[in-house]
Amino acid sequence: MNKLALLVALPLITAFLLPIIHRVSAAAGRWTGPLILAITSALGISLWGQLGDSAVAIELGGFRPPLGITLYADQMAILFAVASSLGTLLLWPGGGEDRVRQSTLALILAAAGSGLALSGDLFNIYVFYELVAVASYGLIAAKASAGSYAATMRYLVVSSFGAAMALTGVALVYQATGTLNLAQLAQLAPTHLNNLQGLAAFVLMLIGFGVKAELFPVNTWVPEVYATAPTRISGLLAGVVSKLALLIIVRLLVLVFHQPEALTVMLILGILGVVTGELAAWRARDFNRMIAFSSIGQLGIIFIAFAIPGKAGVFAGLAVALHHLVVKPAMFLLAERWSGSLTALAGAAKNSPLAAGLFILLALSLIGVPPLPGFWAKLLVLVELSEQSQPLYYLGAFVILAGAALEANYLFRVASRFYRAEKDHKAPAAHGMPELATASLLCAGLAGSVFVLTPLAEQLEGIATQAADASHYIQTVNPEAPP
Amino acid sequence: MDTGLILYVAAFGLILIGSAGIVLSSHLVRIIFGIALLEAGANLLLLLATYREGAAAPIIVDGRVPLTMADPVPQALVLTAIVIGVGILALALSLALRVQRAYGTLDMREVRRRLEQDIADEAGIDMPSSADAPQAVISRQEGQA
Repeated sequence: MNKLALLVALPLITAFLLPIIHRVSAAAGRWTGPLILAITSALGISLWGQLGDSAVAIELGGFRPPLGITLYADQMAILFAVASSLGTLLLWPGGGEDRVRQSTLALILAAAGSGLALSGDLFNIYVFYELVAVASYGLIAAKASAGSYAATMRYLVVSSFGAAMALTGVALVYQATGTLNLAQLAQLAPTHLNNLQGLAAFVLMLIGFGVKAELFPVNTWVPEVYATAPTRISGLLAGVVSKLALLIIVRLLVLVFHQPEALTVMLILGILGVVTGELAAWRARDFNRMIAFSSIGQLGIIFIAFAIPGKAGVFAGLAVALHHLVVKPAMFLLAERWSGSLTALAGAAKNSPLAAGLFILLALSLIGVPPLPGFWAKLLVLVELSEQSQPLYYLGAFVILAGAALEANYLFRVASRFYRAEKDHKAPAAHGMPELATASLLCAGLAGSVFVLTPLAEQLEGIATQAADASHYIQTVNPEAPP
Repeated sequence: MDTGLILYVAAFGLILIGSAGIVLSSHLVRIIFGIALLEAGANLLLLLATYREGAAAPIIVDGRVPLTMADPVPQALVLTAIVIGVGILALALSLALRVQRAYGTLDMREVRRRLEQDIADEAGIDMPSSADAPQAVISRQEGQA
């Protein structure tokens, strides 16, 4: 089971060896990164098979907690670790003269992403979080345009603010409990963190980790970065990195912070995210910023879903999160040729009929039209919301429905333009093969999942049941703990 | 007054000053200083988490165990956090240099306006605020352009 550490270590070591490999042989340097990510993804999938519905924890270097750092793998952790490797592989930045540097950063991003998913130590999570941040700064600025530097700068300011907030939260937690191991925190939380200090620590960490998850007040970087970064990187940040940040917040909620107020704060911020995101997307007039704002709205829905207490919330949240994880990168891949004004998209279906078809499929699933998976995910959230007693949850359900209406409006406004050819207007160029192939693959996965919905839902419910069980986590990391 | 309290006040003070600097300043170098202060405050708070007055270093010499020992864990953590902070600071300053070269200014309000303009130009649309913005905003934008 020590192979678990390879999910983090392998891409990290390769990242720093890559410049040397590239100097020896340019061809080897080109293929090493994708190859290593393919290996780690395969390794993750085989670990998933071995684990079944049990979980495992390993102590790095043989030091037991609280002195050592644990890596904890249940189905949810491995799922997101694989998503981190596989997502980076699919959205491999590759091109340009700057290939070595970008490949290095992409590998660091994948390694730190897997680390975020697997880590069982709060400070370790903070370190991996900063590592993800630094790697993404470099990848965003890779376009080397004035706009990308300015957007990266503004992103760096927001992100550093968030990281410092998260660190303050970590300090408050350590002050109250004297440990940062998540399993020990879970044991101590009911007596030590069930107070105002615990709530303050949660809110600080929610703001901190929420920066990457496009949480409402700290998401000012989103439209600028997604409009100026290379589209594949935008897809990676919106699709994969945001989910990793969410995973941490969910872990913290399940294990450490049980106050009802914590859920209320998240619910309110999620609702505000949906309202602001969808309205801004409706008003946007260029393709990139439209899908950037729509991604804020979608992540708001995920926050609302995770704010439902207990296993039901984790289940519903995971369903929407995984749906978004597949749809958003595909959407950004289509933006490769369609970035720019929405009016310039007139007649786009003539040059790239497949891309237009894919966009419509993605749009239908995002809005939630049956029988696509997006419908089932949203339905699940709405059903769970309607079963809550607090009125704020009904507001959440209403906002999700209203958001869906807005989504339908702005996405179909674009889709109808594809088929409306105008005179004297040059339709945008056809998509490149790599983008189209990857987007088709993601869409095929989306459409294919319609046929296996029942087993998929059962699997997902199993993952959620395991992830929502705090005592299972404690027992796995520390078998001597009293049940 | 005891030392712990003063240090706590200092830590929260640094966090407040740093946050205020990030939110209120528009000069990029001041914002970066704000980040540095904020990080210093957070680090100090982490260090204070298990602070004990007059504690000895946690080293056992000749089998004698000191009565009160300092907790070494936050010190190790803070060391890591400081290193990360310095790295981010260097990156931020080098990016600030690039921004200054590209736009010829370090005023973040101006940088933001130019950034919006760049995105709009590249997309081939008007500035997002031009249609509905109050007259004062439009005239200011035109005056500066």
